[in-house]
Amino acid sequence: MHVISGKAWVFGDNLNTDVIHPPEFFSLDPDRVRAGLFHKLDPQIQPNLEPGDVLVGGHNFGCGSSRETSMRSLKLNQIGAIVAIDFARIFFRNATNNGLPCLVFRNAADKERISAGDRLNLDIERAVLQLPDASEIALEPPGAFIRQIWEAGGLLSMLG
Amino acid sequence: MSPGRTFVEKVIDSHALDPADEGLYRRVRIDALLGHDATIALLVDEFERRNLKVWDPDRVIFTNDHFSPPATAERADISNKFLCFARAKKIRHLMMDRGICHQLLVESPLCRPGALIVGADSHTIMGGGVGACATGMGSTDILFALATGTTWMRKPPSIQIVFRGTLPTNCSGRDIILELLRLLGEAGAQYRALEFWDRAEPKLSQDDRFAISNMAVEIGGKFGVFVPDEVTRTYCANRGDVQPIDDVQPDPDAEYERTLEIDLSKLTPRVAKPWSPANVVPISEAPEVPLTVAFLGSCSSARLSDIREAAEEVAGKQISPNVRFVVIPASVQVFSDALRAGYVQTLTDAGAVFNQSSCGPCGGIDKGVLGATDVCISTSNRNFRGRMGHWESQTYLASARSVARAAVLGRLSPELYED
Ligand code: SF4
Repeated sequence: MHVISGKAWVFGDNLNTDVIHPPEFFSLDPDRVRAGLFHKLDPQIQPNLEPGDVLVGGHNFGCGSSRETSMRSLKLNQIGAIVAIDFARIFFRNATNNGLPCLVFRNAADKERISAGDRLNLDIERAVLQLPDASEIALEPPGAFIRQIWEAGGLLSMLG
Repeated sequence: MSPGRTFVEKVIDSHALDPADEGLYRRVRIDALLGHDATIALLVDEFERRNLKVWDPDRVIFTNDHFSPPATAERADISNKFLCFARAKKIRHLMMDRGICHQLLVESPLCRPGALIVGADSHTIMGGGVGACATGMGSTDILFALATGTTWMRKPPSIQIVFRGTLPTNCSGRDIILELLRLLGEAGAQYRALEFWDRAEPKLSQDDRFAISNMAVEIGGKFGVFVPDEVTRTYCANRGDVQPIDDVQPDPDAEYERTLEIDLSKLTPRVAKPWSPANVVPISEAPEVPLTVAFLGSCSSARLSDIREAAEEVAGKQISPNVRFVVIPASVQVFSDALRAGYVQTLTDAGAVFNQSSCGPCGGIDKGVLGATDVCISTSNRNFRGRMGHWESQTYLASARSVARAAVLGRLSPELYED
């Protein structure tokens, strides 16, 4: 998990988990869970995702329900990371527990420098996001506890 | 010396397992764990694959409420997977089709003032209505907690909310929390605890407190706790608690990030417009909107006082022929109390339809979901786009009284309370 490379999908503020993954796609069947990602918001998003793609969000990314099918769907679609202005608490925990990096901008205004479809390189070690013109956006480095969970390979690896 | 501590700081400290405050996160023990069919089914395979044991089956409440009873074969399979797991693990409080998990949690003596509780659903926070530090988490966190009886937690800063004055008779806890959402926004308490001080005269009812704590998560809160008082003690006593209550109280010199004083006397009925629970206006400033569905249900409301208020509003009247009015009591206990009090009869005579206690259409799950052209007024907690059904459908959030009034009138109107 050093450099993550993928294209940007840009969203606004308060993107809630019912929009990320509509409740009607709640299932134990991985194919159905995978297909539900953003389905109602725009059915064209999910089929066009590629492994490593980066979601870019505004304030309060992932607010709402704790249903972990939203997280499963992001993982099944091999989203590489999420960069946002800030994250809702339960969503951030779910992502961390499942090893999906969620990072926040050092300056919220930098979100505007990213356009949908931009190819991004996210260097987690340096907490830096590189734009197509090679300019960089500074992110907040993840805390020691978060790194510990990532390095263990997710929360369950810490069950001992 | 360290400054005084908030209610939540005291509860976290008293549950901490690591000696010192190492960095931001502390490992804490939990007093109880809540789970339901939909979210527990997600962790069953992993739990079994790792050959884990439930840390204490007596402290676990599992409820079959989302798919209750199941409407499709796939949901029946999910429900059965959950039930088999719960029975095999000898979960003491397994409740099948008895109501919505959060209501069943607060009906249980496990949900005590000063307790630390985690649940596999965001509205677990409602335990704060009786002074429990209760919070929702995803299935992976819950799997960890179920196996170890512990979790990790950051001590959140607290926002103090002081209620004063007298709540007008046409308002309830729902209007109070909608007003707080208007003031604070969807992220106003992100990573924070809300500590509610009830200085109202008379004090808020226990049902009003549950409505407020339930939607504290819509403001982003980690906890939404009422400082325990005589209302809490009476509720616990009536519930039949045998264990005396730990009288945890915040220190007088506790530090709050901010304090908000709310004069309830000035409150008027509120409504949240689509598609955010924070998109709140006074009903007197609401648009004129024809309705097709009215929903009195969900863990956010649908307790006895809500059903009573709705019954008062529809008594001797008829629901508008253009509106389908679905009522789902929050638990079988509430339903049975409402039956005995005659509210079910009154509402049924007026044209409302009762479904069995479960989540119903709240999360777009079950009977009563919305179609493309539906416009719904609801006592549930989230009017996110598409949550209750079709992406084009619209949901307005209000109190049980307002929902019943609007159901009779057939529309939401700024004149809803002008009669
Ligand atoms: S009633 Fe609605 S908000 Fe409450 S637990 Fe059920 S789906 Fe969630």
